[in-house]
Amino acid sequence: MTGTPRLLPVTDDVDTGGFFEAAARGELALRRCNGCDAVLHVPRAYCRACGSWEGRWEPVTPTGTVYSWSVVEHAVHPAFPAPYTVLLVELDDLPGTRLVGHLPGRPELRAGAPVIAWFEDVDGTVVPQWRLARS
Amino acid sequence: MATSHRDRCAIAGIGTTDFSRASGRSELTLVAQAALAALEDAGLTAQDVDGIVRCDMDNVRHNDLVDVLGIPQLTYWSEVGPGGVAPPGMVAQAVAAILSGQATTVLVFRGLNGRSGRRFGQSALSEQRVGGAGSYDELFAPYGLVTPGQIFALMARRHMLEFGTTEEQLGAIATTCRARANDNPAAQMHAKTLSMDDYLGARLIADPLRLFDFCLETDGACAVVVTTVERARDLRQPPAVIRAVAQASTADPQPGIQFPTLFRESITSLPATAVSKVLYERAGLGPEDIDVAQLYDCFTITVLMQLEDWGFCEKGEGGAFAASGAIGLGGSLPINTGGGHLSEGYVHGMNHVLEGVRQIRGSSTSQVPGAETCLVTATPLPPGSGLILVADR
Ligand SMILES: [Zn+2]
Repeated sequence: MTGTPRLLPVTDDVDTGGFFEAAARGELALRRCNGCDAVLHVPRAYCRACGSWEGRWEPVTPTGTVYSWSVVEHAVHPAFPAPYTVLLVELDDLPGTRLVGHLPGRPELRAGAPVIAWFEDVDGTVVPQWRLARS
Repeated sequence: MATSHRDRCAIAGIGTTDFSRASGRSELTLVAQAALAALEDAGLTAQDVDGIVRCDMDNVRHNDLVDVLGIPQLTYWSEVGPGGVAPPGMVAQAVAAILSGQATTVLVFRGLNGRSGRRFGQSALSEQRVGGAGSYDELFAPYGLVTPGQIFALMARRHMLEFGTTEEQLGAIATTCRARANDNPAAQMHAKTLSMDDYLGARLIADPLRLFDFCLETDGACAVVVTTVERARDLRQPPAVIRAVAQASTADPQPGIQFPTLFRESITSLPATAVSKVLYERAGLGPEDIDVAQLYDCFTITVLMQLEDWGFCEKGEGGAFAASGAIGLGGSLPINTGGGHLSEGYVHGMNHVLEGVRQIRGSSTSQVPGAETCLVTATPLPPGSGLILVADR
């Protein structure tokens, strides 16, 4: 990635910062409600299911499967020269709950292909990434 | 359930600028031209206008038009959004203003230099740090997911995986809209034909979506004049009666504008599922009653999913329905008869409203013979809107 400007996330947002704090510890974590354990995704403070404002960042097994993907052939941002692949990943622990991933180039993919998370440290900012797992 | 607004208001005038890649005019000038054309079409003047509804993403404000056109006094203004889901909802605001006694003659407009000015699909992200402040971009943009086209590409791939939808079926939508544009001298793509070979041979943008799965980029403006049916009958054009309007959200829209919609339970359906239920009930009509439809077409896949979500075919059968010829002139549901956003121009949902009026008047360049009902949708990713126009009976 040398020479390419990176697009880094804001990591200290009140509602989503815990995702990146967990990533910095090497964990993939989702927001869960303390009142009823509902998954609050995208992260937010209030649980509409039980009315609780109390929540936690709970680690999940950092594995999932490919739900959908697109090979981007037309670059629109200097941080992302084409081709590259955007992934939608469904988490193994929480079926129906998805995260986004990025793979370089045009990898051979199929629906349901297993993926595993890794944690990329860019000058102190840690971003969860995904790679294809051997199955 | 009877609806108090059913058949009580009408679109009495429509106006548009030319559609181009470089208007050479300000957005205010474009909107003023479209607004004056709509008033002229209705046989009205700026003196008659007392209400304005705009889109939240428009750069032209209500006071701009009051001053530039010489509107003596507004007693109502509002705005609807976000962006492309606004136009039928803007007409809905006009109806609400008129029936609640807050205005009598409402100008509804959308104008943009969508090609020569700020372009959609260009990432607006210029900072090195992205997201926060409720945008949720921090969960998407760092992975290179930065445009609506990429979102719809992920949805299209999933639709292919779940239902066996094919590229040729998406191509049938692109070529159908192009054929309508070829009939429409005002369309940006009027002079350019599009064959299936042309479609399949075009470069991939975000696979499986190709160049012609994407809508155009357009400089232009469109406006309509809304008033009561009674008053419209005394004006220059036959009224396009507003049978019903609707805005509706689903139970899980997800926060933010667009990227979090990829975390909805289903990414192979759109908020059209909600808008269609509310609109059909308010109209007392169903999909079988629709003679012609203007379906929001930011991308071909948006149309394909709406064919299902608006009830014209079963879930998963949108591709086969599109490829069957049903959406062409002479089919059971001719769509986007001016060429749509894919081939006429992208005025962010608004040109579909104008084309709907033309079908009811019988003046479309791809006129559906005897059309008496026209559905106009604006149901891409966020909670959206729709309306049904009918002939005056
Ligand atoms: Zn709860």
